[in-house]
Amino acid sequence: MLTAAVLRTELVKNMRRTRTYVAYGIMMLIPIIMAVAIDLNPPDVRGEGRLLYLASQTGLILPAFALRITSAFLLVIVVALFGGDAIAGEASWGNLRYILMRPVARGRLVLAKFVVAVFCAWVAVATVVVTGLVVGAIVFGTDPIGPPLSLFVGAQSTGDILAHLGVATVYVAWSLTGVVAFSFMVSCMTDAPFGAIFAGVGLYFTSLILDSISSLGNIRYVLPTHYFDAWVDLVTRGEWHSDMWRGVGLQLGYVLLFALIGLWWFKRKDVLS
Amino acid sequence: MTEPVVEIVRLSKRFGAGVLAVDDLSFSVSQGQICGLLGPNGAGKTTCLRALLGLIRPSAGETRLFGEKVKPGSDQLRRLGALIETSAFVPHLSGMRNLRLWWEAGGDKWADADLEQALAIADLGTAIDRRVKTYSQGMRQRLGLARVLLGRPEVLVLDEPTNGLDPGEMREVRQLVRRVAEGGATVLFSSHVLAEVEQICTHAVVMDKGRLVAAGSVDDLIGAAGAVYLEVDDVATARRVLESMPAVLHVDDEAPGLAVSVDGARRSELVAALVQAGVAVETVTARRRLEEAFLGLVEAF
Repeated sequence: MLTAAVLRTELVKNMRRTRTYVAYGIMMLIPIIMAVAIDLNPPDVRGEGRLLYLASQTGLILPAFALRITSAFLLVIVVALFGGDAIAGEASWGNLRYILMRPVARGRLVLAKFVVAVFCAWVAVATVVVTGLVVGAIVFGTDPIGPPLSLFVGAQSTGDILAHLGVATVYVAWSLTGVVAFSFMVSCMTDAPFGAIFAGVGLYFTSLILDSISSLGNIRYVLPTHYFDAWVDLVTRGEWHSDMWRGVGLQLGYVLLFALIGLWWFKRKDVLS
Repeated sequence: MTEPVVEIVRLSKRFGAGVLAVDDLSFSVSQGQICGLLGPNGAGKTTCLRALLGLIRPSAGETRLFGEKVKPGSDQLRRLGALIETSAFVPHLSGMRNLRLWWEAGGDKWADADLEQALAIADLGTAIDRRVKTYSQGMRQRLGLARVLLGRPEVLVLDEPTNGLDPGEMREVRQLVRRVAEGGATVLFSSHVLAEVEQICTHAVVMDKGRLVAAGSVDDLIGAAGAVYLEVDDVATARRVLESMPAVLHVDDEAPGLAVSVDGARRSELVAALVQAGVAVETVTARRRLEEAFLGLVEAF
């Protein structure tokens, strides 16, 4: 009951904030720009990436292409914003102490803020996909993947593509939850929201850089971004990779680790702001 | 003797850098008292109040509200209203939305809040529906006081509540504190404005360098080291009576009355002796103001 009340108040705070809608607006804009660009300059089948080429052939693949592009940078910033701003933002306003003067256990507050941050991040991911789907259908139609394309990437019905796209969306959202959790953890430790947001973005890029160093060997398999793109073959070929399960498990570990450290820290924190 | 409502018990707080902000501090505030918390900057007043509200973890000792130890999120916080330093809100939400979200975060129904009084205190008119980021400092402070009173608190903890207010608003705050206390609430009130504390507080706690310097009724604190000013109908007789009392150190003319330096005698004893000698006492006040008493106590500490 009390947790529901805190959840509701945290959700209202986020959903009545201009920055939330600016972030979602940008996420809507990207697939639209992509659709226009691809329509004006259709990619060459030989020289372009498979996902981009498929996106130009059926609007059902455009959201996957938009997801791939945004999850490499913009979505990372947006989800880090929701995670990093959750507690540090409230502290920077000076309002955190007033919330904690209510009979609200710190654990409940942290839980509510984390759930709302994750929810807002997932909505951002869904915004890219839904916008991409609508725009893609309008500009490129909703054809399934059939001959002659299917000779190269395998046939997929409209239902298959939509189902695979749904799984890919959930996978990307879950993969980015690790970034949300890390930003949130730092947010529990600092009163500077930008520091927490940049920490999340920094984690992502540091992991990407380390993952590109092949001499790191097996260490790369535990880097948070190692399995980020494991979903691409599911959408383009209809093939399920076991790497996706590894990615889900790896993120689960990171999400739990970061969230629990954040909780532990915040429960012991002196609230001075 | 009523049970203490607020208790600070051997409280110490050391921050990470080794700064000892509060050092073995103990005092209590009983039901219905308006207690001023005084001390120079850095004395540890705000740290003490934050510990009372469960915002910081004591390094040693504890704080109690209504006899129970305060922990973060303690249920007894529901019976308390607090304003620590400046009022702060979610800037992109309206004043009204802020009040409502803050209230509902504690699991309470909005219908149970004392909105009528809160809106009267805030006195923001239609601005209550504007975003808080458009408010002046004074408007925020008034909205903060409104928030404090939403739950009809039994204890008010106010840290520099008149900061940012104009003289008229400051007077309103003082009247508000008195009114709330007359309703039976206990008030713990920190302020740099000693005249303000003297006007509205029944008791005071003086801190310096994180430690307790003195605590007691304002009258006792002012008179503790002190001198008393008397106006009587027969100055010569009064002087003779007073000079014969062992606790009177000396008597000086301070037209139209007498300034009496005492050592341990209460004002009531002086008055009783004069009345017994047939001298009518028209005025008896502490000769010192709280400011002098405060400075004397802190400098001697």
